[in-house]
Amino acid sequence: MKTFDYTVKDELGIHARPAGILVKKLSGVKSNVTIEVKEKGKSADAKRLMAVMKMAVKQGDVVTVSIEGEDEDSVFEDIREFFETNF
Amino acid sequence: MGFFNKIFKSGGEDLSYVLTAPVDGKSIPLSEVADPTFADEILGKGLAIIPSSNVISSPCDGTIDLMFDTGHAVNLISDSGIEILIHVGLETVSLKGKHFKRLKETGDKVKKGDPLIEFDREEIAKEGFDTVVPIVICNTDSYSSVKVETGDSVKTGDRILSVEK
Repeated sequence: MKTFDYTVKDELGIHARPAGILVKKLSGVKSNVTIEVKEKGKSADAKRLMAVMKMAVKQGDVVTVSIEGEDEDSVFEDIREFFETNF
Repeated sequence: MGFFNKIFKSGGEDLSYVLTAPVDGKSIPLSEVADPTFADEILGKGLAIIPSSNVISSPCDGTIDLMFDTGHAVNLISDSGIEILIHVGLETVSLKGKHFKRLKETGDKVKKGDPLIEFDREEIAKEGFDTVVPIVICNTDSYSSVKVETGDSVKTGDRILSVEK
């Protein structure tokens, strides 16, 4: 399993559209990907749109992203860059 | 076969897989929504309504999975398992709750037709926002088809969409 922490910079957080593009990005990824905001005790399967939206991630939240599966190495780099670019 | 069987089986359709219009207006295909997140079906299949009234009502019996604290969108799960996002206007997240009033909260059980959100579409439009209301099925992949009825004026409660397992 590979993980990284990311502090959300977008002032509107991860609302409907960003949740949608994240789920879209992960379609086709074999690994299980979860996002967790430890401070709020919430986690979600990052491939499930409604679950991601329900996290209601806000600016300043520290999101722990965990990737586990056969393609975790390539997915890790890709997703980390995606978070930095989009959130 | 009894009388009631006949009624419920008419057309062989289970009404728990049918959604009704959450607002009065004109129904249009998602592809005509001026936001690629919706138009390209990134959030799922569905349709949109150009609203002519100011209350969003539940399209089905179900549970509010998430009422956005800004009141600009709501996620519902129907009792039959359909995951529905109703988004009021485009980019309206940036209004941060202004012109929106939440009438229900996350976790509430709702019946078809229950009012969920009140919004001031004239004021939202005045601030330069598109007030179109996309309605999308977030678990589109769970269904073999999502059929929509568009191109007409609709009243709250009119049938607009059905899904098939």
